[in-house]
Amino acid sequence: MSQPSVAKFVMKRPWLNSWMKPLANWYTNAAGYRQLGLRADDLIPEESEKVLLALKRLPPKEAYDRVFRMRRAFQCSISHQLLPKEEQTKPEDDIPYLTPIIEEIEAEIKEREDLEAMVVKKRTARS
Amino acid sequence: MLSRSSVCRGAQRALRRQCAQPVQRRGLAAPASGSFQYQTGDAKGVKFASRDLAGPTTTLALVSRAGTRYQLLPGLTEGLEKFAFRGTERRSALRIVRESELLGAELTSYHTRENLVIGAKFLRDDLPYYVELLSEVAAQTKYAPHIFHEEVLPLIQMSHKTFLANTKAMAISSAHSLAFHRGLGSPVSPASSTPYTKYLDTDYIEYFSKFAYAKPNFAVVANGAEHSELSKWVNEFFGNVPAQAPENLLEAVRDKQTKYYGGEERIAHGSGNSMVLAFPGSSSFTGGFYKPEVAVLASLLGGQSSIKWSSGFSLLAKVASGAGTSVETKSAIYSDAGLLYVSINGAAQNVAKTAMDAVKIIHNIAGGQISKEDIKKAKATAKFRELEFGQDINAGLELTGSGLVHGSKAYQLDETAKAIDGVTDDQVKAAAKSLLENKASVSAVGDLFVLPYAEDLGLKV
Repeated sequence: MSQPSVAKFVMKRPWLNSWMKPLANWYTNAAGYRQLGLRADDLIPEESEKVLLALKRLPPKEAYDRVFRMRRAFQCSISHQLLPKEEQTKPEDDIPYLTPIIEEIEAEIKEREDLEAMVVKKRTARS
Repeated sequence: MLSRSSVCRGAQRALRRQCAQPVQRRGLAAPASGSFQYQTGDAKGVKFASRDLAGPTTTLALVSRAGTRYQLLPGLTEGLEKFAFRGTERRSALRIVRESELLGAELTSYHTRENLVIGAKFLRDDLPYYVELLSEVAAQTKYAPHIFHEEVLPLIQMSHKTFLANTKAMAISSAHSLAFHRGLGSPVSPASSTPYTKYLDTDYIEYFSKFAYAKPNFAVVANGAEHSELSKWVNEFFGNVPAQAPENLLEAVRDKQTKYYGGEERIAHGSGNSMVLAFPGSSSFTGGFYKPEVAVLASLLGGQSSIKWSSGFSLLAKVASGAGTSVETKSAIYSDAGLLYVSINGAAQNVAKTAMDAVKIIHNIAGGQISKEDIKKAKATAKFRELEFGQDINAGLELTGSGLVHGSKAYQLDETAKAIDGVTDDQVKAAAKSLLENKASVSAVGDLFVLPYAEDLGLKV
């Protein structure tokens, strides 16, 4: 599953956006994953069918980088260290690489469910 | 000077006789009833043809000149075929399937050595829906990597495995590659895993689709649809397919005249024995190397009976030794070349013996030891096969489509039938003699300890 988010709601309203932005920046920074070199999408729990499928669909390079970031983060965590400043994730690098794929899969599942629940009406007039 | 009244009377009598004749003259071999005639048209560069057979269903097909002969890398045709109906920009694969199920239709896609055919059978009223669907498949298919890995690749691997399990298919494929090397010789289904481990990739398939679905390279053919309707919908929906292929790579491959080489190949196989003895054959009627006597020779050699409770008149049927041994002679016709082949299947000992006998029979025909009666029967069978094949809806669609794409007219059924009628006994004998003089393509698959070499059979390779 993709993470629940109020970002869309906030971003639609410029006044709210300008008010929330510094707060959001402070919060993501305080979450600490960027200091370990991770991206937000690395934190999505893997233990679900959808995410597992999305991970399979990642391009090889993305999948490799993801594993690399995770191992580096484990290493940092074990040794109680943070990465040096230049190796930490920069805000502009923290892009959702997995979320779009998960959303695509969710859309597929929803389409299937909708089609299953469809009520078929016979055509009345044949032209 | 003739008197006016006598001329008139003569003319009247002649007229009467002519009017009465066509009814009497029409026999098995007069396909002039017009049933095979397709109406052709051109909609913004897209060629299409249709014939309005009375009936509640329609068969629609997109025939593209993108068979294995024209593929730019091994396996591309196979990949493109398996990507048909796999989800487009506008609807998902699931949606296509469910909608077709609701409309009660049937979707097909297959490829031959020369053509890639994507088609549908459906109720007559649904023509607009399927014309739109085919145009979407041609122009807007999404070649997504995950679809390739999750759905397309397993199918290709399966067709590879099926091919490897079928000794007859292997032998025929091997004979083709011996005969024509590249182009026509490239295998129809992947013969090794290299196509999909090394060459196949969604980017390449997408690039190839721009060749296969460029306007000059395909035709839309319908059976059981009104011409005006089809014309209207093709005009409406096929606007967005590319007008030209991105490069003229395909033209370079296409314009090369196929050359016959010949040779021998032996492949060890654990489950089954097959031998194919192949000889240069006849091209299609429009191909420039059309030899009607090859078709007659094929049905004279024959092997498969078309009549119940009888092995048939054909010469090979009589010699097929042992139960479970099957012999079949085919004249495979392509646009600019052809292959006449005898394929033998069964237990190794029987296959070896039948192959010996087959060559002996060809020697007999070449030497003139063949009764007039048999040749007459063979001619009748050949003509019937030709006409029947042309009447078959699916074969007709593919022939018509490829005829349109090649710029010539639809398949000339009437004339091929006429040409077969005109074959003389000497021509058949000469054709048999030329088989023995030319290089043959001999392929043996199975127990190589038992299966004979071409040399043992007395064939030149």
